[in-house]
Amino acid sequence: MSNPLDDPDDDWWNSPVHRRESIWLGLAGAWSLGIFTWMAGFTQFGDQNPVGTTYEVDPDQYQERVGEYKEAAEETDDGLIPPEDDVYVGAMRFNWDGLPAVLEAGREYDIHLGAYDVQHGFSVRPEENLNKQINLQVFPGSEWVIPMTFDEPGTYHVVCNEFCGQGHRTMHGRFTVVEG
Amino acid sequence: MSAIASLFRNDYDADGFRTCSVTGLDIHQSVENYVKLFGLTAVIALAVGGSFAFSVAMTRWEFIGLLDPSSYYTHLSMHAWNLLIFWMVFMEIAVLYVGGPMVLGRELPLRRLAALGWVTMVVGAIGVNASIWLAEAPNEAPLLTAYVPLPVTPWFYATAIVFLLGATIAALPFFATIWTETRDSHRTLPLVAFGAFVTGIIAVEAILGGIAAFAYALAWRIDLIASVDPGIYRQLYWIVGHGTQQINLLAMITVWYFLTHVVGGAVVISEKVSRTAFILYLFFINLGAAHHLLVDPGVSAGWRIWNTSYAFYGAAFASMIHAFAIPAGIEAGRRRRGQGGGLFGWLTSAPWRNPVFASTVFSIILFGFLGGITGVVMGQIQVNMTWHNTLATVGHFHATVALGTTLAFFGLVLFVIKTMFRRDFVSDALASAIPYAYGAAMSVATLMLMYAGILYGVPRRTAEAVRNIPGSEFSFSAAIPIFMIFGIFALLAILSGVLFVGVSVGSLLFGGRLAEGDDGGMLPEGGLHADGGEPIHAVELRGTFALCLIFLGVFAAVYVLNWYLLTQLWAIGA
Ligand code: HEM
Ligand SMILES: [Cu+2]
Ligand SMILES: [Cu+2]
Repeated sequence: MSNPLDDPDDDWWNSPVHRRESIWLGLAGAWSLGIFTWMAGFTQFGDQNPVGTTYEVDPDQYQERVGEYKEAAEETDDGLIPPEDDVYVGAMRFNWDGLPAVLEAGREYDIHLGAYDVQHGFSVRPEENLNKQINLQVFPGSEWVIPMTFDEPGTYHVVCNEFCGQGHRTMHGRFTVVEG
Repeated sequence: MSAIASLFRNDYDADGFRTCSVTGLDIHQSVENYVKLFGLTAVIALAVGGSFAFSVAMTRWEFIGLLDPSSYYTHLSMHAWNLLIFWMVFMEIAVLYVGGPMVLGRELPLRRLAALGWVTMVVGAIGVNASIWLAEAPNEAPLLTAYVPLPVTPWFYATAIVFLLGATIAALPFFATIWTETRDSHRTLPLVAFGAFVTGIIAVEAILGGIAAFAYALAWRIDLIASVDPGIYRQLYWIVGHGTQQINLLAMITVWYFLTHVVGGAVVISEKVSRTAFILYLFFINLGAAHHLLVDPGVSAGWRIWNTSYAFYGAAFASMIHAFAIPAGIEAGRRRRGQGGGLFGWLTSAPWRNPVFASTVFSIILFGFLGGITGVVMGQIQVNMTWHNTLATVGHFHATVALGTTLAFFGLVLFVIKTMFRRDFVSDALASAIPYAYGAAMSVATLMLMYAGILYGVPRRTAEAVRNIPGSEFSFSAAIPIFMIFGIFALLAILSGVLFVGVSVGSLLFGGRLAEGDDGGMLPEGGLHADGGEPIHAVELRGTFALCLIFLGVFAAVYVLNWYLLTQLWAIGA
């Protein structure tokens, strides 16, 4: 045993390690490998992964694409019904372009996320259960396509949770998920 | 003026050295004075950033709703930069000077550079403050991150670069000390110096990344380049944004080894294991910067998983090594002196009234249980979807830096007041209360932030959301009770911070001068080097082992709970 303010003995590398410390090293090492394996494995067998396909896209072009999508979508009082399985969301100061939208429960949609101006945060939760929520970063210059299947009908609220300017807190949107 | 000058006075021998009555180290005037200078500057930054903690917390507590959005983000930026960057980095330069020349018993070399580094850092820090405070539309407040392409004044990026350059200059005397010390003699550095050295290397890596990030953004802001890529900026930015957190971590751990030894009588139970843990940091910890990009577009899942796990959790493993080694050092040191039997007698009989000891131990416990566990859990790519940019993230990093590192540095400042400024505390009772009050209040505030984020999804970085989202029926009003608790305990935490600054400044100005040889109540019972000398395997480490098992149990429970919440979500991702 030595003290941390003095040079250690010459044979410090060979001093024996306490039995309990060795056991702890084993436990900590096993835990580390275990949680790594779980995280990596979950991308294979799990249902919730922040994984999709990203395309580079000019912000103006992305805005046009969202515009075309809105043309093609059916307008209702609750929002746009997407023409196919693709749902476009365009984040801009201080609005979610393309929202509100009406989706069907149990159907897999490809959600397209992109921004027209600065970075935003796409944060979604069902109205009646706030602890179910997910958060994804949105960039200008990228179109991120992430599949999502909402399993329960209800109203899902979208807020922005990346600071995007003084009006940031007003940035609110909605998905209405109806029985499929 | 003379009051200030007297702060820098001690009795030195003809060569400028004196022997510390607590640590027994040979301290040269030059080192001591620069440690004081950087430490005092850090406390000023703490006071500035701490006042903004008040306005920030009282705005987020929408029951009070202090600030409008037009000033909230400015205050939040001031809070972040003065506390996370200036309070911590000025302290860290002091830690390098303690860990290098002071522990090694040398003069401070290259003193001109130390002075130049300090001046440059101060100019940079004042510049950053001014650029945040004076920014005008269309420029926005930078917050901590100044993410492009949100327009932030170029002065901000420029002065931040100045500060980083200053920190590099100020670190040079430290590296020079290590260089001369190890070049000729094949000297093995003491553990504290070794920890400081690894801290220094990681600091330089972080600073280079920071200069690159801010220079890139600056070039865009002054039209040297036409466009800027938010993804590239984020990668560069997090080299420093995360890198400074690694400096905070390593500096804190170095302080843990130092202070548990000098005020708690701790020993090093295995040089080999503790040094290996520092080496693991050197290799792996920087990969962790990727955990800020886990829910970003354009980075592959494999890249994110490899990096966020520091390659199979190499750095988390290292932290778990220190989590055992440091308390075990206290246990072994105290058991050898016959202080405390049973499972936890060594702990319960420890000098809990010494605020330096209590600060250090609370720092260790709270950092581990609140900050470390949540960091690893939210750093898993999938769980991150439920934490990212919610107040839970803010809870996590207040557990690491506002509880862990800040408490350790509170302890260090109080220690420096006794041993280098040679002042008694103005009030022992108030000084003893600091770690208890701050640790308890900040722990509750931190937990409430985590609950608000993870159980209610309340976003961070917003002036209001809980009681009202303008233009929408929706709000997070279910979280109102959580914020009532948060607000009250945030106030208590801020008051405890005021207590710390008050006791520190009060002691410097009005504390009695300690007589030569007086240890000011800092030394552990039986002195620093108690006899005994039993080999390590003869000492019981049952208490630490039990504590670590509890830690692992809590870790597993938090892990399972977070994964449970995650798997309740709808299906997301390919
Ligand atoms: C009494 C003490 C403190 C209280 C009550 C407090 C409170 C808060 C709150 C409520 C936020 C979140 C604001 C938001 O996202 O809207 C925040 C942000 C932050 N705090 Fe603190 N804090 C305290 C001390 C500290 C300390 C000691 C540090 C660093 C050492 C620190 C560093 C930060 C940073 C880096 C941010 C993030 C700023 C950003 O989003 O860019 N805080 N604080
Ligand atoms: Cu936004
Ligand atoms: Cu926003």
